[in-house]
Amino acid sequence: MSIDVSAIFQIAGIGIIIAMIHTVLKQMGKEDMAHWVTVIGFVVVLFMVVRLLNELFQEIKTIFLFQ
Amino acid sequence: MFVKLIGAALVLFAGTLIGFLQAARYAARPKQIRQLAGSLQRLETEIVYGRTPLPDALRTTAASAEQPIGRLLQAAAEELGLGDGRTFRECWEAAMRNGWPATAMRAPELNVTLRLGSTLGISDKDDQLKHLRLAAVQLKAEEDAAKDEQSKYEKMSRSLGLLLAALVVILMV
Repeated sequence: MSIDVSAIFQIAGIGIIIAMIHTVLKQMGKEDMAHWVTVIGFVVVLFMVVRLLNELFQEIKTIFLFQ
Repeated sequence: MFVKLIGAALVLFAGTLIGFLQAARYAARPKQIRQLAGSLQRLETEIVYGRTPLPDALRTTAASAEQPIGRLLQAAAEELGLGDGRTFRECWEAAMRNGWPATAMRAPELNVTLRLGSTLGISDKDDQLKHLRLAAVQLKAEEDAAKDEQSKYEKMSRSLGLLLAALVVILMV
């Protein structure tokens, strides 16, 4: 349970930092770069979520499919 | 836990420092271009009014210039002093290309300086004066562009260094 909470905090932190980088880059007129940073941050978070989902499905499999 | 904390602090510190160094480079570029233009003006005086031979003129200009610029001119004078049959243009180009990474200046200023080097010391003083004036005008334009860039990117790189360091720390926790 504690691992889950820290992962959520980690994702939240990444979101905050990416938002700040986006704002800074946008203010300085590098909008294309800002969008790339956002996309890369999204992909990183997506990978973390996919890993967590994988764990969840493994759990479900071990519960219901009696491996 | 404690080691992790120290590592995170080190990463944050290093990222912030990198950002500040980048910002300092942006701040130093217009200053160094101005110093280079001032040194070239001094060189112009040496050539047009003093009629000093080019190696001596370079040496005296280098002695009075501020540091990164002074080293460049000193290197050019030393290359020229070797006397191994190369033209002034080749000596100048070699010295500038070698010393340029140590300065905060970029490629446009290098191109202006190299173009000046290909015309210096091969014609009479009026022609050299013309080329020196042209280089001064071009350097002024570059300085304005560099100032523009400084006001744009100095603060950005400062905060970006800290933010990227924080991102790396969060990703690695």
